[in-house]
Parts: sequence; C-alpha cells; structure tokens
Amino acid sequence: MGTLQVELRNAAPMRLSAAFDCSPGEVVALVGPSGSGKTSLLRAVAGLLRTKDLRGRIAVGDCAWFDSGKAIDLSPQERHAGLVFQHYALFPHLGAMENALVAAGTSAARAQLPELFERLGLKGLEQRRPTELSGGQQQRVALARALAREPKVLLLDEPFSAVDAPARQALYREVAALRQSLATPIVLVTHDLGEARRLADRVVILDAGETLQTGTPARVFASPRNARVAELVGIQNHFRGHFHKQEPGRARLDWGDSGAVGLQVVDKNRIDDGAAVTWVVAGERIDLLPDGAGERNVLRCRVEELLSLGETSLCNLRPELLPGERVTLTLASGQLRALGVGAGSWLRLAIPPEAVHIMPQKEGAASLPRPGHAM
Amino acid sequence: MDWQAARVSLLLAVLTALFLLPLGLALARWLAFTAWRGKPLAEAALMLPLLLPPTVIGFYLLIAFGQGSPLGGWLSRQLGLRLVFSFEGLLFASVLINLPFMTQPIQRAFTAIPNSLREAAWVSGLGRWRTFTRIELPLAWPGLLAGVALTAAHTLGEFGVVLMVGGSIPGQTRTLSIAIYDRVQAFDLGAAQVMALVLVATSLFAVALVFAADRRRPLQER
Repeated sequence: MGTLQVELRNAAPMRLSAAFDCSPGEVVALVGPSGSGKTSLLRAVAGLLRTKDLRGRIAVGDCAWFDSGKAIDLSPQERHAGLVFQHYALFPHLGAMENALVAAGTSAARAQLPELFERLGLKGLEQRRPTELSGGQQQRVALARALAREPKVLLLDEPFSAVDAPARQALYREVAALRQSLATPIVLVTHDLGEARRLADRVVILDAGETLQTGTPARVFASPRNARVAELVGIQNHFRGHFHKQEPGRARLDWGDSGAVGLQVVDKNRIDDGAAVTWVVAGERIDLLPDGAGERNVLRCRVEELLSLGETSLCNLRPELLPGERVTLTLASGQLRALGVGAGSWLRLAIPPEAVHIMPQKEGAASLPRPGHAM
Repeated sequence: MDWQAARVSLLLAVLTALFLLPLGLALARWLAFTAWRGKPLAEAALMLPLLLPPTVIGFYLLIAFGQGSPLGGWLSRQLGLRLVFSFEGLLFASVLINLPFMTQPIQRAFTAIPNSLREAAWVSGLGRWRTFTRIELPLAWPGLLAGVALTAAHTLGEFGVVLMVGGSIPGQTRTLSIAIYDRVQAFDLGAAQVMALVLVATSLFAVALVFAADRRRPLQER
C-alpha cells in the first residue's frame, strides 16, 4: 500500500489550490466550512470531479491516478478508491449484502464479506433493503461496500453527519479499529472540528478551495498559522494587539490598542518589533487565582456570566483594565466552587508567556470579528 | 364487433410498443443525462406529436412517403416498401407519433435516479454498461412499464393519423377507432358502442397498471 499524494489546482467552477498527503494507516481530516472545497477535493481523488481545467497530480504510491502533465486521468473504475458518500448512496433496490457484493471485484473480497458484516454488526441484516435499515446501519453498509472494493485509499465524506449520537460513537470506534487492521490511507471530510480532533492524525484546514494549514490537531489548534485558521478552527479567545521586542527571547504584547495591559510573551523571532498582531490563547492553559494575588501576566477579571454544564462551566470574564474585551473559558465546576466564584465576583487569570500564540495581523484580518468580541 | 379491426389494432399496439421500447429507452437515457446544449430543442421536437393536430402529422407523412415523393418512390423501387395506405406505413407513423409517450416516462424515471447512485456504482468498479443494467434499469423499470402501457393505449386510440396515412382498408389499416367511426356513419350505434367500451376498458387498464407500478417504485423518498 502506498501513500496518497494530492496536489491539485482548478480555476472553475470550483477554485482549488490544495495539497496534502496521507500515509497508509493514517487518518487525515479535511476540515473547512461549507463551500471550502473539501468535498470537491475528495471527489477529485475518487475520479468523480471532472473539469477540463483540473491541473496537478494524484498518486497512490508509485501509481499516478491523475497527472495533468502526463495526460493521465484514470476513471473512477480504475482508481480503486473506497468512498463512503455523505448520504451513503446505497442502491435502494438491493439488499445490504448485495450492495456490498456490487463492489467486491474479486473472489477474495466476496469471501471476506460475511466476516466483515459480522465485525460491523450487520449480521442478520444481509437481506434488508436500505429503507429497512437505521441510519447507523446504512452507514455501516456503505462502509462495508467501500471496504469490499479492496480500496487503495478509503475516503469518507462527512460520514457522521446524518446519524444520531450513539451511532456516531460506535462509528468512531469502528474507524479507530479500522486503521489498526487496514493499511490504507484514510481521508475524512468533516466540518466538525471535534470529530477531526478525535479521529485524525493530521488535519488539513481548507478555505475557499485552498489548504491553509496542515498538521496534528493539537498543533493546528494551539498554533494556527494565521487569523483565518484561528477563526476556522473555532478558537474562542483571539484578540488583537501590538508586539514589542524586549531582551532576547522575551517580548511584551500590548493587548488591544490602549496599551493598558501588557502581557509578557515568548519572542520566537517570527514577528517584527512593533507589529500589529492577532493572538490566541488556549483556555486550558490559563490558571485561575483567588482575587488578591498579583504577578506578571496576571489579570484581574470580573465574572460576567457563568453557565454550569455539569462538570464544567462556561465562564465569560471581563478584564478590569480592558472592559471592551472578553475571555471565554471552560472551567471545572469544582475549581470554581473551591474558589467561591459566582457571577459578578472577581478573579485573577494567570497567563503563562508560552501559552500565547502570536500571528501577523494582515492575513484574514478583515474577516475577524471586531476586537474584543470573542467568537 | 369488428374482430378484424380489433386484430389490426392489437397487432399495431404490440408492434409499436416493441419497436419503440429500445428506441425510446436509448433516447430517454441520453436525454436524461446529456449536457448537450441543444437538448431543449431535441425535447421540444420530441413533444411535437403531442401538440400538433394528428391531421397535420398525417399530412406531412403523406407528402413525405407518398408514391409521388422522391423518398416514397425510392423506398418503393429499392425496398418494395410502401409507407402509405399499408400496415407497414401505419406502423411507421405510429412509432413516430408515439415517441413522446414512450420517451417521457422513461426519461423522467432516469432523471429521478440520484447522481450519487451512479457515482457510487462507478466508484464500486461498475462500468457504464453494468451501471446501466444493474443499477439504472432496475430503478427505472416503472418508467419503462409506463412508456409501454401509454404507447399501447395511445396506439389503440389513435384516429387522425391512422385515417390520413392508412385510410380504412379492412384487415390492413382499419383499426378499432376507424371502425367505430365507420359504424357511427352507418348509424350502427350498437356495434360502435361495443367497440368503444372495449377501448375504454383497455385504456383504463393500461393507465391503472402504470399507477400501480408507480406505487411500488424502488426509488422512494426516505
């Protein structure tokens, strides 16, 4: 089995400028808002996106599926991709097993189907028509059909969008198990970041047909390359500011335009002195202190709103010196109780310098909400 | 009851449907999925037999295939085929005017098949032909049945074109609908009554068959 390599450009009707790869056994999630081209990209890999302007290369291992330079363009039948469609696209006139048999091209694949059905919890449902199956069962039949194809690449187009939560959980486990047993690249399209975070080894952030950033979920979420990525991955606490270099390795970040609050941050030598920047901070790295403490990067905040969600609480805080800004944190309810915090009370936030991730402001700055309004 | 006319009508209906099914199927499948820019024009041309008075169609067929016309003369000399005032000519005209009745329901049935199903078939490794036989045809069969039933029923009831192109030659081109007209002209209302009832019953049965099949169609909204 080979690595899937994709590098595509297209002008119309769907603009594409995308590149990513996926090794055997790896799960890569294509993430982006609707219209970002993630499904088009997946269809291009499967050979279903037919536009004469498509340029670039799609290859699995040494085998090129598409190469505009060499005029290679294999048909979907020749590509051996297993595709799970968003709404499954099961053949309504065929039973569950027959649906999978359609894709089983070899006798080996046919022989494995009963075992596959058993593993996917479809035993006893072989003769059922798609309309006689639940959403989760339909989805597993679609997965069985994709696997019966003996795919060189497994493609999943928002496979979890149309099923209820328990079925989704079951399928998360199934995908996790699949990658253990299946040595193929798995590409997943989703607009759900939580899903991408849970399932994918790496995420590819797409916007308007363009790959903006690729990396492990932890890396992309903690260090978005620019403000647009931060917005797309749904980071709540992103703000504007001005960056001032100090002694080597350290810098001061003036929050907002007033300069009322200066945060100590790490200087990675990537931002110019005096630059206007966008910055984000991951909520889980912020510490709470009882009101009264005072250190560097400690901010006195008033609890404006407290929504208890069981074990965690959603907390909106307003810095005393920057009443226009708002920090949103998900905090352990127990910790809040221990601190005796309620709506209207005062707290201190301790922000470690390493927790602040700073980006140049110009890219995508126009599409950011006004400073001080968390997403 | 004019049994000779009934036999001509029945033979004409069966043969028309038989000839038209493969032709209509190919045409409908092509119209359903083509991205050709001239498609609206082709669809409009196909609808013409529904809109024009039967006498107009009959008139043009007479002009085109009459002994005096170059085409009619050539067919007669080279193939010994006479397409006016003969059963063959009647069959040809019937196939032509029934095109929309056969094509329309089949085309609609193909259009109703979600594109994702055909794509799923391709991705599963089925070629165009096997996608057609294993996926498209089983999903479109109510449309095929409707096309055959409507064509047969319409052929039984056609009057104007039959009279223009076929005349009323007993055992050759005199169909039930023509025979009814003849009987009424001769004030033999009883005979006309029986034949009219037969036509009503057959048409009703054909259309009921179409609706019954439509209720059992495989492509239901989920």
